[in-house]
Order: sequence, then structure tokens, then C-alpha cells
Amino acid sequence: MLQTEAEYIRILKSRLEGTLPADELADILSDYSEHFRMGKANGRLEEELFRSLGSPEDVAREIRATHFVNKAESNKSCGNLLHAIGATLGLGLFNLVFVLVPFILLVVLLLVVFIFGIVFTVFGPAAGIYAILQILGIPAFAIWQSPLAGIFFSLGITTFGLLLVIGDYFLARFFYRVGIRYLKWNIGVIKGTECVA
Amino acid sequence: MNIRGISATRIILWLVAITIVSFVIGFGILALAGGFPPSADHPLTPFRNNALLTPNTTIIPLDGATSGDVRLTLGAGDLTLQGGAPDAALMEATVFTEAGIWQPNLALGANASQKSVVITEKGHAGKAWFAVDSPNRWEIRLSDTIPIRLDENVGAGDNTLSLGTLNLETLAVHTGAGDTTVDLSGYHGGRFDGTIKTGVGDLTLRIPRTSNTRIQVHQGIGDITENGFIRHDDTFVTPGFNTSIAVNQITLNQGVGSITLETV
Repeated sequence: MLQTEAEYIRILKSRLEGTLPADELADILSDYSEHFRMGKANGRLEEELFRSLGSPEDVAREIRATHFVNKAESNKSCGNLLHAIGATLGLGLFNLVFVLVPFILLVVLLLVVFIFGIVFTVFGPAAGIYAILQILGIPAFAIWQSPLAGIFFSLGITTFGLLLVIGDYFLARFFYRVGIRYLKWNIGVIKGTECVA
Repeated sequence: MNIRGISATRIILWLVAITIVSFVIGFGILALAGGFPPSADHPLTPFRNNALLTPNTTIIPLDGATSGDVRLTLGAGDLTLQGGAPDAALMEATVFTEAGIWQPNLALGANASQKSVVITEKGHAGKAWFAVDSPNRWEIRLSDTIPIRLDENVGAGDNTLSLGTLNLETLAVHTGAGDTTVDLSGYHGGRFDGTIKTGVGDLTLRIPRTSNTRIQVHQGIGDITENGFIRHDDTFVTPGFNTSIAVNQITLNQGVGSITLETV
């Protein structure tokens, strides 16, 4: 059970140290001190203020999540995205379903598209070589119904593979943007600042 | 993404265009080559039914037979025949072909103590650039333990027989077009009569020096090279040939191509 404002601030600080930059941490702690000061000036009890703010552990989790999501938004990288997702998962067990499952599905989707793209890109030229060898009359390489058609199919397969790889890149960028927006919305819902649509 | 002034959009549009045009041309060629409309023989795929050569091995048991009658007909493809079938088996036949429809027909029979095997594949047509002929290869192993009557036909393709470990009663080899090699090195089986007929292609025949064999050659166009035989016009005999003992008689009929006779 929290006894004092100082204890609240101490716990909050200990949970956020090492995560946030020092100046940002100082700002946040200053805001919460100000909140306590204003509350007391308005005649509210510390216990009442504790209740309205929530536990310092929960507040720290929300701040961490918001920080990592903002960081992932401003500096796009897989590492930052993973940190943001990890921090958001810490907000509640239900986020295993609402965040982790969609994230895994998207990663699998992108991975499958990428693998198919690479396979087609590699298979195309190889199949083209088979078509040429088939035209030269080497029966062991006769994989095509028509080797002449095989050359064109090989070209088509190669370019299709490249399209898949390029498309996968843009798809990943799209999902990254959408994912960040979703994480922000998720944090907002948990903090109670945004209603569930 | 911008590679030397070419925008990603332009690259993607080019790739899409190349992909579509390539597939359209590919399927167009398939249509011209008779690949359309799809059927059981030509499914809607640019690939052959079974793209890679698929081995299919069949073992024919002896079932107590004491002799064998083997007849093989391969329309187009390469055939390799030798001894070394598994114990208690008349034949181990491995067929490497692409499509199930080109698997040969197999017929078995038994007559008294003789087991007969007939394997037939009638061949198929190719279309040069538009469809190269099918790879088709048979690898046959026959029993070394029982006397065998062997009748073997290859329409077009290489025909390689290593018969040194077999025990032959009769031997009939027919090759339409392709090289033929009949190797009887180390043969210690019973006396046999043989005929070898080839249309177009080179023929190599290897006979054990001590096998008391006579070879009658009828050749159309081509050279004859012999090594270790005694020649009398178109007849070649092994050294020490003696008609008073069992004689292996082989008749060669060659259309066009060289003949190489060797004693080993």
C-alpha cells in the first residue's frame, strides 16, 4: 500500500530508468509531482490521487509502451517495432490475443510471400537453363511440355518472383505503419483515452 | 526507392508487363504445340506430367520356375540389360520415365517349369523444339541362375547388354536406330544361338576367347573391326574353334554403321 507521494514517484522513476532518456524521465516525474501538488491544493487526499492515477507500475508500463511505439514510429526498424510490441504486451494479458497473434500472423504472411518470391526468382533462371538444355536435346532436362514456351515461362516466373519480393517490401512497410497506428490505438483504449470503435 | 532516376513504380510496371507478356507467349506456344485444350494426357500446366525421371522398379519372382523366357520391347529410349537379379527373382526391371502413361505394359506367364515375362512400350512421338521426346530408360537385371531365352527389341535408342553372368538358351537382339553393345565377357553359361539385328547405328560385340563361337555377319554399309577372331569371309570364329563340341552361333544383320567384334 502506497503511503506517500514520494514513494509513488520513486517507484515510477525506478520502473522507467534505463528506458527513457534522462530529460524525458525528468519531465514525466515533474508532471506527476505537479499533478500531486495541484491535487493537494484542490483539497484532494493522496490516497484519492493514487486511486485516480493508478498504480505506479501500471503507469510506468503505459509510459514505456507509448515511448517505444513513438520511437518505432519515428525511427523505423525491426528492433524498435519488437520493443514496441513487447512493451504493449506488458499492458495486459489480453494483448497476447489482440497484439501478439496478429503480429505473428503478419510476420508469417510476409515471410511466406518473401520465400515464394525468392523461390520463384531462383527457380525461373534455373528452369530457363533446363529449357535451353531441353532444346539442345538433353533428355534428362526435359521438364517442359514445350521448351520454347519454357523459356518464356521461365522469364515470367523470374519477374513474378521479383514482383513478390518487391511487393513484400512494400507490404511490410504498409503493415509497419498500420501496426504502429494499431498499437497506439491499443494503448489509448487501455489508458481509457480512446473508445473502442 | 529510386535506382538511377528510375522510379520504383516504373520498375514494377515493367516487371508486371514482362510477366504478363511472358506467360501469354508461353501459353500461346503451348496452344500452337497442341498442349490445349487440356486433356488427361495434357493437363493445364507448362510442365510435363512428372517432370523429373521417376524410377519404377518391378521384381518378377521365379516362383519355382527353372527357366525363363524374357521378351522386351522398348519403342524409344535407352535399355541396359545385365545379370544380377535378386535371389529367387527372374527379373528386376527399373523403368525411368516421365509419365505414368508411358510406363510399359507387363505380361507374365508360366508354362510348365518356364516363366515368361513380356514388357512392352510402344513409343511416342516428339515435336522437336516444341516438345522434346520423353526421357525413357530401362534398367533390367535378369537371373544368373536359370537358363533364359532372351528376345529384346529397341526401336530407337542405345541398347547395352552385359550378359556375361547369364545362362542363355537363345538370344535375339533388335535395334532400329541407335548404338548396340552386346558384352558376353566372362560368359560361362550354356550353349546358345543368337541373332543380332540393327538398323542404323554402331554395334559392338564382345565374346570370350574360349567360348567356341561362330559369328555370321551380314552388313549393309559400314566398317568391320575385329580383334582376336579368325575370319573366313563374313564368318568370324573364336581362336581354337571346334565344330565337334558345342558351338555358340551368332548371326549379325547390320544395316548402316560400324561393327566391332572383340574377343576378351
